[in-house]
Amino acid sequence: MLTIGKIAELSGLTTDAIRYYEKEGLIAPLQKSGAGYRLYNDDALRRLHFIRQAQQCGFSLAEILQLLTLQHSDASCCSDVRKLAVEKKLQLETRIRDMQAMSSALDALITGCKVDAQPVDQCTILSALEGVPREKT
Amino acid sequence: MKKLEVFVIPGCARCGTGLEALKEIAESFGPDAFAWEERSLLENIDYAVRLGILSTPAIAVDGKLAFNSLPSPLQLRTELARHVGS
Repeated sequence: MLTIGKIAELSGLTTDAIRYYEKEGLIAPLQKSGAGYRLYNDDALRRLHFIRQAQQCGFSLAEILQLLTLQHSDASCCSDVRKLAVEKKLQLETRIRDMQAMSSALDALITGCKVDAQPVDQCTILSALEGVPREKT
Repeated sequence: MKKLEVFVIPGCARCGTGLEALKEIAESFGPDAFAWEERSLLENIDYAVRLGILSTPAIAVDGKLAFNSLPSPLQLRTELARHVGS
């Protein structure tokens, strides 16, 4: 059996993170020692690795709980998991697209600012953000 | 004829459930009203993102996202009726 400190060390997570996952229903200690310490088995360690991997793919804790539930449900099949993975990819691609648009908007502001050492009230970036065109001096 | 694109994930058996009934509704508007096209989401992911699709099955009508999940037959009929004659 593993204490929370040991399983944290083996999984590369903090004890606070493990307690948080427990609070969110993602993991539970197998039992508690006589002194009330949480004790975990190897399945819990595998589950923590699963959580870390899934987080690296962008899944939220709620979505990871969904994946873990599917993993242990006889009624679910591989295509259920695939659907979640495809939908996560759609979310990520949408965010990438939105961020590219933000980056392009910043490019336009930066390119439009050609005057150095001017007072801040003549800053073309600030005025563009205000939506008020300002005459360049 | 307007395009009615249905985005599904290949191999997802449940994604196809209910599509036949929806196809019949599209056909009920006449043979030249809507062109029903089923598209693989995986092969059209950039297009799907441009349309704003976040889940499947999704339906786009006339190049615009209409449903981010499978609509009821009544919802589809109402949506398609909006496009007929417009």
